[in-house]
Amino acid sequence: MKKLTSIIVILLLVLGLIMTTLISGVAAVKDSINVAVAAPPQTMNPHGSDSDCNLSVMGNIFEGLLYRDVTGKLGPGLAISWERVDDLTWRFTLRKGVKFHNGNDFTWEDVKFSLERLKEPFPVSELLDFGGIIKSVETVNGDPWTIDVKTTIPVPYFAQNLHQIFIMDKESTETRSIGEIGQNPIGTGPYKFVEWVKGSYLKLTVNENYWGEVPSIKNAEITPITEPSTRLAAITTGQVDILQDIPTELFETVANNSNIEVITRPGRRAIYLGLRNEPGFPASDIRVRKAIYMAINEDEIIEKIMFGHAFPAAQIPDPPTVGYDSSLKRLSYNLEGAKSLLAEAGYPDGFKIKLTGPNDRYVRDAQICEAIAKQLAKVGIEVELDTKPKAIFFPEVDEHKLDFYLIGWFDGSYDFGRSVIQLLLSVNEEKGWGGLNGANYSDPTLDKLFEESSEIVDPALRAEKLKLLNRTAMEEKIAAIPLHYQEDSYAVYKGRGIEFTPRADTWILFREISIKK
Amino acid sequence: MYKCVITRLTQGVVVLLVVSFVCFGIFQFFGDPVLTLAGRYATQAQQKEVRIKMGLDKPFYIQYFVFFKNAIHGDFGLSYVAQTPVLGLILERLPASIELAISAMLIALILGIGLGVIVSLNPRYFLNRFIMAGSLFGISLPTFLIGILLIMIFSVKLRFLPTFGRGEVIKIAGNWRTGFFTINGLRHLILPAFTLGVYQLAVLLRLTRGGMLEVLREDYIRTAWAKGLPPKIVIFKHALRNALIPVVTMAGLQFGELIAFSIVTESIFQWPGAGNLLLTAVYETDHPVIVAYIMITSILILCVNLVVDILYGFINPKIRYE
Repeated sequence: MKKLTSIIVILLLVLGLIMTTLISGVAAVKDSINVAVAAPPQTMNPHGSDSDCNLSVMGNIFEGLLYRDVTGKLGPGLAISWERVDDLTWRFTLRKGVKFHNGNDFTWEDVKFSLERLKEPFPVSELLDFGGIIKSVETVNGDPWTIDVKTTIPVPYFAQNLHQIFIMDKESTETRSIGEIGQNPIGTGPYKFVEWVKGSYLKLTVNENYWGEVPSIKNAEITPITEPSTRLAAITTGQVDILQDIPTELFETVANNSNIEVITRPGRRAIYLGLRNEPGFPASDIRVRKAIYMAINEDEIIEKIMFGHAFPAAQIPDPPTVGYDSSLKRLSYNLEGAKSLLAEAGYPDGFKIKLTGPNDRYVRDAQICEAIAKQLAKVGIEVELDTKPKAIFFPEVDEHKLDFYLIGWFDGSYDFGRSVIQLLLSVNEEKGWGGLNGANYSDPTLDKLFEESSEIVDPALRAEKLKLLNRTAMEEKIAAIPLHYQEDSYAVYKGRGIEFTPRADTWILFREISIKK
Repeated sequence: MYKCVITRLTQGVVVLLVVSFVCFGIFQFFGDPVLTLAGRYATQAQQKEVRIKMGLDKPFYIQYFVFFKNAIHGDFGLSYVAQTPVLGLILERLPASIELAISAMLIALILGIGLGVIVSLNPRYFLNRFIMAGSLFGISLPTFLIGILLIMIFSVKLRFLPTFGRGEVIKIAGNWRTGFFTINGLRHLILPAFTLGVYQLAVLLRLTRGGMLEVLREDYIRTAWAKGLPPKIVIFKHALRNALIPVVTMAGLQFGELIAFSIVTESIFQWPGAGNLLLTAVYETDHPVIVAYIMITSILILCVNLVVDILYGFINPKIRYE
């Protein structure tokens, strides 16, 4: 009898377990959405990180004075209009009737506070350079809805960057600890913060009191999934609705799945090679630089290494960036030409060079380096490969001691003038130039062109100057060897009628997504 | 007994000191956090400003001293990246790891010892041989492969179980979130717990079987059978209890490891545990989180080992520390 009861109990338990197992998960709730991203948001302090994965999330909770639409076009945000009064002054008219999530009113003092906060070395730091150029924020003629921002030096790209400088509530930021601010964000944006477990998930809910149109998606969850096969499983089962960055090696599998819609677009980030030009170094000769450029078969890299998911680049900036020159063309692949240029330069048998690159930063970065080493071997250049984790690679870039290195770049403020300071200008600590110029590349012509461009107030004329700078660097000087733009890819789970258009800046703003069913 | 515990505790403190010094020292040479912190547009002057503000310009021993002083007061500082207190970050994540480890351990203990006993009673039976062969897979297949296979079978093909995450959780006491009390939470637990536990399961199974086979041959077992004791008592009370010593040692040691090194499983299933946090911190050169994590898991492992030592005495009175 006793035995029988225990058997029945065990049977019931097993049955119960099977039942709980079989009941399918909570069906997708209407109006809510799950998005899987590759890199987790790092902090809830909107000024704490300038990485896209963080800005993308912050763009839902906070707003800047200006706002960029899906295509990257600049428009009004918390400011309804803006103009450059003189080379040091920018004037903004602020939006009235905006409230923070804690009920506080948005005023010009919040703008002043937020912009001045950028000068703090911690916890702001990543936006330190932008804070450093702000001199003062004052009202105009006592009108609290019109303000003038003065900069210490002429900053042509000032407004260009304001979509990612988020405005915080003065009162709640001043009264809370750094740790609190890094955990519980209070903004003016269309979504309110619910819960965040760092590196794991972030939950948002709609701000019903938003000044603009209240978005149709009411609840949103962002989960970073790093493991490629789990990402694939999550989207094929519909556990996430949108997947950002389809793993390159699993692209075909995702694309062949009839439940999934794949959306791709050229990314903003360009991958390029930096090359030393110090006298005595082989590549100080322009013919050697050209030869290396011509010996690299970019089509092959895109096809074999990137599996077709990249776009050839002839320059560092991407099309929406100020300074982009659509007339630039890549030097075409030409082994014979490269060999004869090397012979002319006095290196008929090639030379040895060390190629350094990260192995965990860009899509298939180490594999690209390997491919380049093999391609250059065909013209006699012996490449010593040195790929390493980004935590070790970037400090080396910072020391400017590399000979030849692979790096990627895009500019969040859509301004080549701002990029070139870091990438190609001669290293100059005093002026703050050349921070990411890893090979200590130096060319007075480029430096001079840049200085000329920063004195120009008229945006159109300045853009022309930057184009000239770009063209000189790419055609005449081969200051860097551009390889390709990465591809942005998204997988959308069909069946829920999700309408999603990827943004140029890869941010995922839930107000721009809608669900039809 | 007490003397032994005290000796072990002192040893533990020394171990912790060495661990803290070593990992603090290693990270001095493992990436410069200022570069990430100051951002890609920062000038050298601004990088310097950040370095000074963070106290990273000071010599190594002063940094270590400051860290040590604060750590004793339970303050591991702010995470460079999240800009929130490190201890809070880790404590928030630890429950998830502990829950996962407990579930994995339970699966391993129940199935491992249970199957081990069954197999040892009739080692030549073909089904039992089959189980033994299966346990070889458990030992030799790497965790990530098991995890991915389970996801592919149970989530993608059969659609029984969710692919990632922890599902619905309930908050109990502060930041302690638990998934034990919701069906959704339990469903999310099954695959990762099994993945994490399968290696231990196989090890415990083989250990139990080995121990049992040896003990069952002993004279006192033969006596017990001869006395006409019921099989339940012979097997469980006389045989298993004696075969269990190495099993308990192993299980105890592994439990600490399950909490500390569940990183692979956690990253496959995107489980919001501490291992996942560590992985993110390594990617982001977030030194305070890495150091604090290693310290806290060291303490955990030391405690578990101590408990195991004490448990010995209860399982087998022959082993008592003098």
